[in-house]
Amino acid sequence: MDDSSASYIHLVHHLIEECLVFNMSKEECMEALSKHANIKPVITSTVWKELEKENKEFFEAYARKNAERATVMETRERIEKMLANSTTIRDTK
Amino acid sequence: MLAVSPLRNTSKDENQGEMASTFAIDTHEFPDFSDTNLLDSIDFDDLFAGINDSDVLPDLEMDPEILAEFSAGGGDQESEMKASASVEKVEENNFKKEEEDRVSSCGSGAASASASGSNFSKEEEIVSKREEPVSASLKTLAKDGDKGRSKSSTQTKNNNNNNNQGKRKMKVDWTPELHRRFVQAVEQLGVDKAVPSRILELMGIDCLTRHNIASHLQKYRSHRKHLLAREAEAASWSHRRQMYGGATVPSGGKRDMNPWIAPTMGFPPMTPPMHPPHFRPLHVWGHPSMDQSLMHMWPKPVAHSPPPSWAQPRPPHWHHQQVPNGLTPGTPCLPQPLVTTRFPAPPVPGIPSHHHAMYKVEPPGIGVPTGQSGPHPLIDFHPSIESIDAAIGDVLSKPWQPLPLGLKPPSLDSVMGELQRQGVPKIPPSCA
Repeated sequence: MDDSSASYIHLVHHLIEECLVFNMSKEECMEALSKHANIKPVITSTVWKELEKENKEFFEAYARKNAERATVMETRERIEKMLANSTTIRDTK
Repeated sequence: MLAVSPLRNTSKDENQGEMASTFAIDTHEFPDFSDTNLLDSIDFDDLFAGINDSDVLPDLEMDPEILAEFSAGGGDQESEMKASASVEKVEENNFKKEEEDRVSSCGSGAASASASGSNFSKEEEIVSKREEPVSASLKTLAKDGDKGRSKSSTQTKNNNNNNNQGKRKMKVDWTPELHRRFVQAVEQLGVDKAVPSRILELMGIDCLTRHNIASHLQKYRSHRKHLLAREAEAASWSHRRQMYGGATVPSGGKRDMNPWIAPTMGFPPMTPPMHPPHFRPLHVWGHPSMDQSLMHMWPKPVAHSPPPSWAQPRPPHWHHQQVPNGLTPGTPCLPQPLVTTRFPAPPVPGIPSHHHAMYKVEPPGIGVPTGQSGPHPLIDFHPSIESIDAAIGDVLSKPWQPLPLGLKPPSLDSVMGELQRQGVPKIPPSCA
């Protein structure tokens, strides 16, 4: 009873950690665990939140990193677009 | 061995009277084992009672229990009859030779009882026949003794389990904390050089035996091999993808490979000597110092300066690539330093191949000149489905494996409470 719950939570914890290694967001994690491990998203999200509580620093840094990444990606895309545009303009000239 | 002198009383003849026997053994004094089983009726307790001090049985240490067993067990009738019959004669001989009233002198008695060849032979017979039941009974007793001993030893072992006494092979519960210390010790020594005795010393836990450590080390090494194999597989797989992705600039792609790999620790293409230093992060399942440095890394992602010392192993490729690029924080190449510094951060880079596998290669043409694409890991921040699936599958199949990040586990109560609130009465749920 308790043991199986505990081990299940531990499993979810482990899986979430793996996702963290992949820099996934909570939502991505929920989806992945649901898809690959048949874990209800609500459970994933609960365990995630609890992990966050226990490891505040980690998750703060994690969030910051991912946010930066997001901006970086965005910037990159923008630049890509710009360059693509400039080449086309050049070509047309 | 044969105690012949006392037997004189068991015979039905009238020789008894002649014998100045200190043993008053009479058949009807004993429990009636069987009428014809004369040997059985011998009470060896009394038999040997008076000869404990003497070296009556040098070869055979017979306890009263054993003797009882011996007396209980019967030889064949014939031998017994013979034995009893010849006992008298032997007794006579013994009586004659007073210095030979020792049981053990059966042999010497036999030797000295040269009075009659028949006696001698009979004595031998007695001896041999006696020895058989004796040894048989002894063996039985020994077996029982062993059983008893093993039983008690098992019990002791069970007790020891509780007491943590490592006399025998104890079942060690490798908790994450214990394992962490183990890994720390191993890494300190160098995984290939790690010797169980040294590891034990370094760990300084007296509840562990060298054997525990040795078997755990074996498991650990095979686990690592497995991880490295996975990494290799992922590397080759990602490599191929990268090659395809970097079709535009093959050479650049090649260069991509190196730096792409460079940030990742414990990567197979790296030379083996790199592994021990790479190995360090491996041990950090929740290692506090690592976590702290981890934290430090994240807040300042842009670190063009050489990564902290513990990321040293990778410099050759990384620096090499970075310098010519002239990366500045403002460039689109921003991710690169971000990434490379980040890689040392995860305590686990050496372990999971999915770390590396996750980095899909983006085409170098992203707007970054070829030369600059070198250090670009071209990391796609979103891991590929296959690697996630692989990682998840791995966890599901081997839940006993250590956690990659070693985060503090959530409090069970709060999780359960929260789940109850959410309407999930019990876990694991019957359906997803």
